[in-house]
Amino acid sequence: MVTQNKNLEIERNIGDFAYPETHTHDAGIGLSEKTIHYISDVKSDPDWVREFRLKAYQTFMSKPMPTHWASKDLEAIVFDNIRYYLSGGIQPKRNWEDVPDDVKRTFERLGIPEQERKFLAGVEAQFDSEAVYSNIKKAVGEQGVIFVGSADGLKEHPEIFRKWFGKVIPTGDNKFSALNSAVFSGGSFIYVPPGVKVKHPLQAYFRINAENFGQFERTLIIVDEGAELTYMEGCTAPKFNTATLHSAVVELVAMKGAKIQYITVQNWSNNVFNLVTKRGLAHEEAEVKWIDCNIGSRLTMKYPGVVMKGRKARGEVISIALAGDGQHQDTGAKMVHAADETTSNIISKSISIGTGRATYRGLVHVPKHLKNCKNNTECDALLINSNSRTDTYPAITVRGTGNAVQHEASVSQVSAEQIFYMQQRGLTEAQAMSLSVNGFVNDLVRQFPMEYSVELKRLIELEMEGSVG
Amino acid sequence: MSNPSALLEAVPATAPENAPLLAGTAQRNADLPGWFREQQQAAWTEFQHLPAPALKDQAWRFSNVKALDLAPYHLPAGISDADARDLLERSTELAETDGRLVFADDHLLERDVLSEKMRAAGVIFQPLERAMIEHEDLFRRHFMNQPANLGSAKYAALHQALVRSGTFLYVPRGVEIELPLETFHWLHGENAAIFPHTLLVAEDLSKVTLVEHFRSADRNRGGFSCGVNDLVVGAGAKVTYICTQDWSDSALGIQINATTVARDASALNLYLNLGAKFSRLESLSRLTGENSRSDMLAVSVGIDAQEFDARTLQDHASPHTYSDLLFKNALNDRARATFGGLIRVEPQAHFTDAYQKVRNLLLSDESEANSMPGLEILADNVKCSHGATSGQLDEDEMFYLLARGIPANVARQLLVGGFVNEVLERLPEPALVAKLEDLIEAKFARRGR
Amino acid sequence: MQQLTIENLHVSIGDQEIIRGLTLSVPRGEVHAIMGPNGSGKSTLAKVLAGHPDYTVTAGSVTMDGENLLELAPDVRARKGIFLAFQYPSEIPGVTIANFLRAAVQSRLPEGEELEATDYYAQLYKKMDLLEMDRSFTSRSVNEGFSGGEKKRNEILQMAMLEPKYAVLDETDSGLDIDALKIVSQGVNSLRGPNLGVLLITHYQRLLNYIVPDRVHVMVKGRIELSGGKELALQLEEKGYDWVRDDIAEPALA
Repeated sequence: MVTQNKNLEIERNIGDFAYPETHTHDAGIGLSEKTIHYISDVKSDPDWVREFRLKAYQTFMSKPMPTHWASKDLEAIVFDNIRYYLSGGIQPKRNWEDVPDDVKRTFERLGIPEQERKFLAGVEAQFDSEAVYSNIKKAVGEQGVIFVGSADGLKEHPEIFRKWFGKVIPTGDNKFSALNSAVFSGGSFIYVPPGVKVKHPLQAYFRINAENFGQFERTLIIVDEGAELTYMEGCTAPKFNTATLHSAVVELVAMKGAKIQYITVQNWSNNVFNLVTKRGLAHEEAEVKWIDCNIGSRLTMKYPGVVMKGRKARGEVISIALAGDGQHQDTGAKMVHAADETTSNIISKSISIGTGRATYRGLVHVPKHLKNCKNNTECDALLINSNSRTDTYPAITVRGTGNAVQHEASVSQVSAEQIFYMQQRGLTEAQAMSLSVNGFVNDLVRQFPMEYSVELKRLIELEMEGSVG
Repeated sequence: MSNPSALLEAVPATAPENAPLLAGTAQRNADLPGWFREQQQAAWTEFQHLPAPALKDQAWRFSNVKALDLAPYHLPAGISDADARDLLERSTELAETDGRLVFADDHLLERDVLSEKMRAAGVIFQPLERAMIEHEDLFRRHFMNQPANLGSAKYAALHQALVRSGTFLYVPRGVEIELPLETFHWLHGENAAIFPHTLLVAEDLSKVTLVEHFRSADRNRGGFSCGVNDLVVGAGAKVTYICTQDWSDSALGIQINATTVARDASALNLYLNLGAKFSRLESLSRLTGENSRSDMLAVSVGIDAQEFDARTLQDHASPHTYSDLLFKNALNDRARATFGGLIRVEPQAHFTDAYQKVRNLLLSDESEANSMPGLEILADNVKCSHGATSGQLDEDEMFYLLARGIPANVARQLLVGGFVNEVLERLPEPALVAKLEDLIEAKFARRGR
Repeated sequence: MQQLTIENLHVSIGDQEIIRGLTLSVPRGEVHAIMGPNGSGKSTLAKVLAGHPDYTVTAGSVTMDGENLLELAPDVRARKGIFLAFQYPSEIPGVTIANFLRAAVQSRLPEGEELEATDYYAQLYKKMDLLEMDRSFTSRSVNEGFSGGEKKRNEILQMAMLEPKYAVLDETDSGLDIDALKIVSQGVNSLRGPNLGVLLITHYQRLLNYIVPDRVHVMVKGRIELSGGKELALQLEEKGYDWVRDDIAEPALA
């Protein structure tokens, strides 16, 4: 079982390389109850998980594609052609030395071990369906922080896991959350005990290596009272000839006074359908902040949400989307206010280049009998070429007095005069364009941790190359 | 008050019908031309085939589709002379007009003729049923010729199937009509269904203002109005269209508008929504020529359990076009407003400026506002922005007024007046602004009863 | 010969010819002023020298130290040493002056050579002091929310940092009050020297009180109609541009 050996040169898309597959577990092509039993068997699921999966499978089958509002491109996904589970083993290693050579080389080229040494409190690296490496710094582990794969989480910590699993995002939330619930594998389970403030970020890195593959990781993060956590995820895949599906479910629970910051830099190759459901539950005075940056994929549909369940809870989504030729970044945010004095903030900036299309979809909901809730939404779009496209589709419901909701959106261009001005100072047209675009997103990029913001600027520069002229 | 027109007798009376609305077109409009009735039959078939709106339709999201039960309504019977006189007496809004038509239950009650000068200039201001005979070509060129693509294709078909009267206004090239023209549509019979139609064609370089009033004879009587107003604005022409909707508090209203604006032309639409239990406005402005401009304005003041549902499209089909939309909703009690708007800039429509703003003022704990301001930008060099806010009266402003000894209810009314005035002031004519302010004030007074 | 040479230049925008056979040379080390009434084509000349894409050169040549400028892209010209101080500098939201100038200075270094940050900032602060600019300026976005005077000072700061061979100052005095005018002039004067040729474009004579030109040219309807020493500017101030127009009928003085 060897797919084509891709060009191993690291090109402008750093993730575009693949090693031959060496999987020992393969659920085969297509989806049926048999596939689900196979996954459950390989993973030695407890019975309740197997039942959960089978029920989710039924839900998935019964739900129509959301094409009445979403992109028709979804119809290009052929569920029968996808491989739903591939792994070379199910136990992640604690030490990079023990990770199989080709997999280790993959992550070394992506710079993961180096970043871990430099600034991370823990790393999990997922290769196709399973984590191959998972480690947490000793000091962090000693504080009682749990950072394991979802499979270990549900077996080793059922008392916390079961309480929240599938509660923030029910199986039937949408067709793809149902699919994930049926075939999920990999992803992180994190628990931060009360009062523990994890100083450095925990990171997960998701890598698709196999063609025709669907990655369905499932992440559940619970940060207990007064505790704090920053979590970062990155993802890449090689450019295969056929479409790949990534459909994750991420649930966050911030207990009273807790803070969670979840950072994503999505750089899938341009044939990945990236259909992800992400939602956080914020209890009293808790804060959930999504920083979401989408650069890669063919079609991304992702609207990170926060349900503000406790008084004075806060939700925030910072979103940057870069839609290049042939890409559609359909991103946004959902803010559900469910208690008094809750506040939410959405800032979205998108850039459409060439035939790229960036879409913002937002939902803000302030039901009646709530007092002093606030939402502020800003979405700005930048169009680079005359065939670029941008759309904005917010939906805002406010009931009752005492709440203030405000939405503003604008669309602009990089002006020819601006580019000429910079050229006159000696910058090439592409440099000028890249500087303008970086300027456009600058205030948001600054919210990323240093290491990521540098990476982000570089990615934007790469995307802008060849976008003019 | 003008003299009853001789035309009253000239209009052929239709047989009193009183048939359920959903019984169809069989007995309706036997007096109208065959080609017209054929179109009506086809429209009726279409109406029956199109599915009823559902909440999952994007165009009906947040709407109250249950309010659209048409079973209670029937085609109205004739109207007595006494009632007609009463309604004519009440048909006074603008002090000065250049012409006026008054309809009740889809029957023409009165027609104030245009000045001789206007008639000589070729201006046509006629009830629909005459225009389709006397100016068949012109009429057929424009009648129901615009898309109803904001969700109510079914109701546009219903309208066409059952329409029997309304206004045909034609302003020839270069003719400017100084004073506004005015029409009234009265809902009269209990649970009557009416289909007010307005077709305004302004040729190149002409100028006209049309003010329409939608009223119920009895504030406590139910009724259903399903209207269409199409405005065709020729090159360099300027059209101002105002519609004041004050149906009874239990009525159901659907109004479908399409405005086409040619090069160098400008159109301004303003909808004042005060009445009806549920009213829906679909308004489409299509900018087809360079340097065309469309201003889309609306004010809705809701009390009790009123619902206002507005869907708009600013469709930029040509480069160098400009549109500006400002909708304001002031909501009391359990009133509910939904706004779904889209700015669409077509791929070729570079150098477009398009703005869209919706502002909701929530004045009670039970009021609700849903906003869906949308953008679809497929062109380059575009200046576009939209904004939606929902909030309440500014506490500092309120306190300032109270501190001057102004009672709370008056202070609120003043501040709400200020809130909606930003829209009204966009009208070119102070007399019209004053008229609309009066209507809003009357609504407040009614709430205070 | 080290000079900026314009010969028989014809420039159009669309169908309209704006520069109609203009000839002019600015040797390095000299400051030349071009004066002229509104609509004479002065700003067009400035933009054409910088390579603005809106204008079409229909005839003539522009050379810099013997090299044909017209074939070069705007950024290539700039790196070779031509600088335009814009009449209306563009705003670049989100891009700080420090980063912008750094990118511009970096673009002039040979490939592979990295700009030394400490040297760069030392240079930058020195030039800013000269122009009486506050250090906090560097962290502001380029020209965004700048006053007229701040924009023009920023232009001269860039000129100081990029060390061009020839600088074209397009109506640099417009929008400046007298204090700002003095500071900007002082900045320009400090850059004067054997390695810099300056073409000052101005409508008013007052700038020339502070930056004293070696030569003054009068441009009318897309052509240099009159050239002379610095005293010519005073004559113009006194007699107005109509005097030149009347004069055109006479045999040319220059």
